[in-house]
Amino acid sequence: MRHLRSQRREWLTTLLLLLPGFAVFLGLFVYPFIITIVLSLRPEGQTTGWTLEYYTSFLASEHGRQVIVLTFFLAIATTLFSVLLSVPLALVLRRKLRGHRFFRAVPLIPLVVPGLIGALGLLLVFGSRGWFNLFIRDVLPFIHGPIAVNYTISGLTLFYVWLYFPYTLLTTLSTLEGLDPGIEEAAQVSGANPWKVLRHVVLPLIMPGILSGSVLTFMNAFGAFSIPLVAGGNYRPLSVDVYKQIQLFVPAHWSQACAIAVIMGVLQVVFLTFYMRVLRGRKVK
Amino acid sequence: MILTYTLLVCLSIFIFSPFVLIMIKSIGKDWFGKLWLPPTLTLDWYKWAINVARLPEVMKNTIIVTGLAVAMSTIVGIFSGWAFGRRHLPGKELLMSMILLPRMIPPITYALGIARIFYGLNLVNTHFGIALAHVTLCAPYAILVMSATFEGLDERMLEAASVCGANPLRTFFHVTLPQIMPGILSSMIFTFTTSYNEFTLTLMTYGADTLTLPIRTYLAVGEGYWEVTSAMSVIMVLPSLLILFLIQRQVKPEQLVGGFKGL
Repeated sequence: MRHLRSQRREWLTTLLLLLPGFAVFLGLFVYPFIITIVLSLRPEGQTTGWTLEYYTSFLASEHGRQVIVLTFFLAIATTLFSVLLSVPLALVLRRKLRGHRFFRAVPLIPLVVPGLIGALGLLLVFGSRGWFNLFIRDVLPFIHGPIAVNYTISGLTLFYVWLYFPYTLLTTLSTLEGLDPGIEEAAQVSGANPWKVLRHVVLPLIMPGILSGSVLTFMNAFGAFSIPLVAGGNYRPLSVDVYKQIQLFVPAHWSQACAIAVIMGVLQVVFLTFYMRVLRGRKVK
Repeated sequence: MILTYTLLVCLSIFIFSPFVLIMIKSIGKDWFGKLWLPPTLTLDWYKWAINVARLPEVMKNTIIVTGLAVAMSTIVGIFSGWAFGRRHLPGKELLMSMILLPRMIPPITYALGIARIFYGLNLVNTHFGIALAHVTLCAPYAILVMSATFEGLDERMLEAASVCGANPLRTFFHVTLPQIMPGILSSMIFTFTTSYNEFTLTLMTYGADTLTLPIRTYLAVGEGYWEVTSAMSVIMVLPSLLILFLIQRQVKPEQLVGGFKGL
């Protein structure tokens, strides 16, 4: 009896201690999200009535489709380029070269720096008078400059890659370092040349790492807000479109903004589920 | 070998050049032509940032908001982290990934809801309100770090303390606290950077009296003075880079991927 009571008391303290965490989760995340959903279903400015108008009109409009396609395009392109950049870099960084401590710290920088600052700096570098175009003028004069990078779709992708490739690189690198060097040696001893070892042994083994890292890059790029807000120009992905609905119109288009936010949130949850699958697959192996 | 170093050096230039240019822009004068470096140097833009953009006031706001957010999330982190770390909860992993959800979903998707709720509660344009919005992102990370810390707590030392006759309070201050201090510190560092750099949620809850550094910098972009904006960016980014420099030996990169900033 006494044992039971002490057990119950223990349970009670556990629940009490969990309370602040769940209060934050429910009060500051779930409740706002529900409010967002409710607002998206209400006719603009009213407190009663239900409508699906804001979803259908956004999804059916030319503008809405463009925004969604653009968001996916940016996220996919960023992921592809991040993988192309990360795999060779990870292979290089693994071989503890001179100064590898420094080179290893470099890709951490975009993770710490707010996207806003990164975007500003990149706009300066790639502006028509920035160092990038000066480099082309002075070192590669056969290219007719200046090349427009800022506020173009390829420039925006480049900025995204700058900010989000470290997710892919770091997970790839950590998987690569977790590999048993014996496997590669075995392949070499059996007469495979370095290229074959890479292609048939190393790459398949680090594939789960590349995959989980690139899903992270993809999700971050999909939800990116400050970079396209500052450096997007006329290109508005979903996140910026949500904000513009509120900022550009007087009175603000709350219902429309909320509907777009909900679409974005639902897509993100789908990616997240996929990511969890990938992670779980990794653990089983 | 040469190819390897070319690759690494190119990457470093790609990563560093934005900061270098921001730095140069912030101290350069009359830099309009096609020159690599500005002809004259000046500190005028910093003076502008301080006098015209009233940066000291903005910094005061930022410090208050960040301090409140760190304090609140650390407290939440210690309580709930203890429950996660020391007790057998059914479905613990699922609960933890649920708690971490706000960090995995772009804040813009629920920022509108937060803004609407805070309008109703008159929390918009208050330091406490902005800090509370930041807790949404900071607390999950604090809980994650603290739960790992409590899990690593050495049970035998606690038992030894009570066997030697220490009361629970004494045990906590002399045995538990020194052990969990590194965890609290790292949770504070990460919640600090998250709150200090937070942009989206602040954008939805700030007002004229509660401009923070990221918001002020963003507004300066719209005003079009690149030099002043650069000066502000330099001031804003220094703490983050300093922290990265200080902790990069202690912290595993994987931890950074998980926790350094939201989306």
